[in-house]
Amino acid sequence: MSAAAPAMPVSRSRPRYLAIALAAMQQAVAYRLSTISSIIGNFFWVAILYYLWRAAFAQNADIGGFTWPEMRTYILLAYGINALVGFASASRMMYAIRTGDVVIDLIRPLNYLRTQLAMTAGAAVIEALASAAIIVLLGLAIHAVPPASALAFILFVISLLIGFVTKFLVVFTVSLLCFWTINSTGLNWAQGAVISLLSGTLVPIALLPDWLQVVANALPMRGIVATPVGIYLGQYTGWTLAGMLALQIGWLVVLWLAADRAWPRAFRAVEIQGG
Amino acid sequence: MPIIEARNLTKRFHRPVKAPGAAGALRHLIRPTYTDFTAVDGISLSLEPGESVAYVGPNGAGKSTTVKLLTGILVPTAGEVRVCGLVPFANRIANAKNIGVVFGQRTQLMWDIPVVEAFRLLGDIYEVPDDRYKQTMAELVEVLDLEPLLPVPARQLSLGQRMRCDLAAALIHAPPVLYLDEPTIGLDVAVKARFREFITYMHERRGLTVMLTSHDLGDIEELCPRMVMIDRGQIVYDGPFAEVTRRFGYERQLHLTLSAPVPDVPAALAPVIGGRAARITDAAEQQLSLTFDGRAITSGELIRDLATALPIADIRLVEPTAESIIRKLYQGELRFDAQPAETAP
Ligand SMILES: Nc1ncnc2c1ncn2[C@@H]1O[C@H](COP(=O)(O)OP(=O)(O)O)[C@@H](O)[C@H]1O
Ligand SMILES: [Mg+2]
Repeated sequence: MSAAAPAMPVSRSRPRYLAIALAAMQQAVAYRLSTISSIIGNFFWVAILYYLWRAAFAQNADIGGFTWPEMRTYILLAYGINALVGFASASRMMYAIRTGDVVIDLIRPLNYLRTQLAMTAGAAVIEALASAAIIVLLGLAIHAVPPASALAFILFVISLLIGFVTKFLVVFTVSLLCFWTINSTGLNWAQGAVISLLSGTLVPIALLPDWLQVVANALPMRGIVATPVGIYLGQYTGWTLAGMLALQIGWLVVLWLAADRAWPRAFRAVEIQGG
Repeated sequence: MPIIEARNLTKRFHRPVKAPGAAGALRHLIRPTYTDFTAVDGISLSLEPGESVAYVGPNGAGKSTTVKLLTGILVPTAGEVRVCGLVPFANRIANAKNIGVVFGQRTQLMWDIPVVEAFRLLGDIYEVPDDRYKQTMAELVEVLDLEPLLPVPARQLSLGQRMRCDLAAALIHAPPVLYLDEPTIGLDVAVKARFREFITYMHERRGLTVMLTSHDLGDIEELCPRMVMIDRGQIVYDGPFAEVTRRFGYERQLHLTLSAPVPDVPAALAPVIGGRAARITDAAEQQLSLTFDGRAITSGELIRDLATALPIADIRLVEPTAESIIRKLYQGELRFDAQPAETAP
């Protein structure tokens, strides 16, 4: 029980989706332990990859266009960024569909896609704070390189935000599959693995087999990690940079339209479970 | 003008048929088979503003499915439905502003967030103006006695406390229509009583139209003068609660006390009740119980015939109560044949 005196409810109304995002943020604070521990789990991979790559760079000064300082910065940022829209957010969407709790969202006068985006964004604020703190600490420890320029940093932040919504849309669309398959845990792991590979989190896309590079470079997932981190490191300039951002924005629009059309159909095609 | 109107409302589910186990799952993947299951089967129903209706029926009868059709969450397979003049599934968002819903098994509250914050969020979601929000909230807090619960996160509430909060949550935007789907599941008697008081209050004060699904007979009698009963997706009764006995209470009982022992009662009675819609349910020393179909024979006729065969000292006629009739329906002992739906009284 809270010790605070129960005040009469006072409200100053807030925009609907902002209010939803703030509530999700509060919820994430309540679950901060699990949020933070899953983010720390992510950084275990950073440690493993750090030592693997250090060994590889002992023989080579340049691997796939990366120097050692660039590579260690890349893996740190990649895992930090991929911590956004983490396992918990994906599980939340899938669980609601699987158990039929989704009816609670549907009896409200809200757009389901925007509601889920607001909730994911609210939780991501907490994920981002934890992740950023770890990135800064580890970055100092491993001598990560600073952004290529002030402009690169600004574009990095913009690209990161687009990447965040992109990842949300991918996860959201995949979660709709829960209407058909009831095994949400398997689905969640699978989408996590695919995103990790195709976004360039596991290894930079330049180091993937040629055919997979072609695929990964065309798909929206690279916008989640590879594009923002590449911009941070100053790997893209001029038209390449513009093209990268255009690809991100193009996919964002396509995915948004697809997701916004997909969910009412998914709801219609398959019925909602449970009384 | 009715506020809720359904005509021939039908919902058929397309259910996958899966054999158990991994092999069954695999077979389903390769060659999926489905069966159609009609959960709501041509329901016609109309509610006037301010009316409150109990929607009752055994488990699996199609109550929740009907509520989902009325909220616009499910799309009907056939038939028409309008709530406040809107077609719910085609105007889900507009319809959502007109309705409040409590699903007994789910909550609108948030697990780790104080109840008051969840209310505030709902106020924002429904875009309730500040002054209206304060006014409604004050009323709900008082009538439902929520003051001590406001700072508590939902996870720490008892079932009864959660139910009260969920009720308030459904009414923050002052909707004209309230659906309650099994809201009193697992509540103790005191909480149920308070719950009923509140619904009556809202109904009288705000002219709220209430549709309550329940299989708790206590709710029905006190809350809703009108009862709609469904069985296997079809309306089997629509009318006043008390009327049930008249319509379906044809199975009556006669208890006799004999003035002298009779060696073989069944044999003695065979000539008088043989072929008649009466049968012996219990026979002891000088006691005898009979059940008869009131549509086929009057109690007068039966008593007259019995008196010719047995030495009768005393007679007691037992009429079925509405409760016992409904209970029998639930237990599958009584089968109501579907009748053409009636319009509201
Ligand atoms: N999503 C669904 N898919 C398939 N069948 C369903 C679904 N939802 C409900 N049913 C079936 O429809 C029938 C009516 O269910 P429901 O409306 O929940 O009953 P009630 O609320 O009266 O207990 C049940 O037999 C149930 O199994
Ligand atoms: Mg039900």
